[in-house]
Amino acid sequence: MGNISYNFPIEKDDFERAGEASSKIKKILRQLGMDSSIIRRVAIGAYEAEMNLVIHSLGGTIGITIDPESIIITAEDTGPGIENVQLAMKEGYSTAPDRIREMGFGAGMGLPNMKKCSDSFDIESIVGKGTKIVMKMMLKDGD
Amino acid sequence: MSNEYSHSVILREDRCIGCTSCLKVCPTEAIRVRDGKAKIISDRCIDCGECIRICPNHAKSAITDDLNMMKKFKYNIAIPSLTIYGQFPSNISISQILTSIKRIGFDEVVEDTIGADISIFLIKEYLLKKSGMEFPLINSSCPAIIRLIQIRFPDLIPNIITIETPVEITARIAKTEVAKRKGIDIKDIGVFFITPCTARVTSIRNPLGITESYVNGAISIKDIYGEIVRNLGDNNNLIKGISTRESILWPIAGGQASALGIENYLAVDGIHDVIKVLEEVELGKLEDIDFIECSACTGGCVGGPLVIQNSFIAKNRLMKHAKKVDISKYTKEDLDRFIKMYEDGFIRLTEKIEPKSVMRLDKDLSKSIHKMELVTEILKNLPGLDCGICGSPTCRAFAEDIVKGENKKAVCMIKTMNGFKSKNL
Repeated sequence: MGNISYNFPIEKDDFERAGEASSKIKKILRQLGMDSSIIRRVAIGAYEAEMNLVIHSLGGTIGITIDPESIIITAEDTGPGIENVQLAMKEGYSTAPDRIREMGFGAGMGLPNMKKCSDSFDIESIVGKGTKIVMKMMLKDGD
Repeated sequence: MSNEYSHSVILREDRCIGCTSCLKVCPTEAIRVRDGKAKIISDRCIDCGECIRICPNHAKSAITDDLNMMKKFKYNIAIPSLTIYGQFPSNISISQILTSIKRIGFDEVVEDTIGADISIFLIKEYLLKKSGMEFPLINSSCPAIIRLIQIRFPDLIPNIITIETPVEITARIAKTEVAKRKGIDIKDIGVFFITPCTARVTSIRNPLGITESYVNGAISIKDIYGEIVRNLGDNNNLIKGISTRESILWPIAGGQASALGIENYLAVDGIHDVIKVLEEVELGKLEDIDFIECSACTGGCVGGPLVIQNSFIAKNRLMKHAKKVDISKYTKEDLDRFIKMYEDGFIRLTEKIEPKSVMRLDKDLSKSIHKMELVTEILKNLPGLDCGICGSPTCRAFAEDIVKGENKKAVCMIKTMNGFKSKNL
């Protein structure tokens, strides 16, 4: 079955362009004629992942693969990795430094929000190597 | 797709030289230049008037109604847009302007203050406090923004406040009142809005959120300005104005929001900035904001495409007028009456505003995905300069037009030129 993929490189601390990738993803989905509710979920998931890469990682990529059944968003970075994934998944837990929090980010809702908006959510992280997050949204589910 | 959707914004082909000025400013990518002339894609046009403003050759224009239309009715009412007070030197009073408009041949002139005040009061005292509202609330008063939301931000349709616009509220009240007072059949009463706004003209003909507008015609400020000027001068029997400070400030960007007496709002003007803010709202980042006042025109309605005066000057004049009048005063009984009018559907948007998916590549998702692949493939071979010389606003739009089969003669000049260059080497 036909599918289509895009990759967006994300740089560490690049707040100027932060949000661009999720914005582009949203536009693509709209052009594909996707339902609003799914677009919203994907946009939120992609945005949170993108912001996480900008704030916490050393840089990475956001990928999206779309087929007629599902949408898969992948966020992969090259480090530093999360020490305690379970703790990071807790709402309100954040390791963001003050300068980031002062900007209104780092509320500790990134990962929980990503999980909330996906039908399946996987996270793998190795300290010193990097983190990989895979979010899957099903298209036929109730929409 | 001709579903009799008639736009106000039109192209005067004889004046169009096929330049690319309008291509670039269109917020919904609704313009293409084909065979040397601009073409408007009807489904996408939201009548914001950006193209009218930018066109150096005045080839983009607006169809509005003319005064002859008054002959169709036994009794004619003019509702001048509140922006009109800013179109004349400050020494000309609101009473003089209103009287002069009446002298053109209207039986009555009704101030849009009525609708603006009711709208402000209802939002402030009722809708902001009502349960089940989607925050941030978005004003319903800018018709170009409503159409923009339909096309680009369908998720935000529930955030639009379901209250009629001031002119519609004023028209409804005026028409019903005159019918009763004069004993004239409501069908024989004509209401004419003197408008700064192209999108409003379209919304009178093809209303959104209501089945039929009580406004029968829209006359552009530009068109009627000369008539008003000619009728100024005689200061006998002047109409006594009922303007309130809030309503005079309404057409200035931020006027509506500040009249609500709340602090937690955003006032955004200029369609491209509105798009940026609505993108944030769509991501769920502004749910802690109570109210967003969006206006497609820079400066608010005073910056409308059909005004005479520069919006900065108009704003200064409106502020001077506003200082001379009192703030609006309403009682608890008035509020109850307005709430009833709203709940009864008299001044409420009773019809659902539907999303418009005009951006999609194909109705079928698999085909859409396939077409998107082709677009991506074609894009790889394009220079990405978005110069517009091909007649599409961006390289991406160029690729989409090819894939949709809408541009059979597509040529990229930059690629062609580079092709020549490499041959010469």
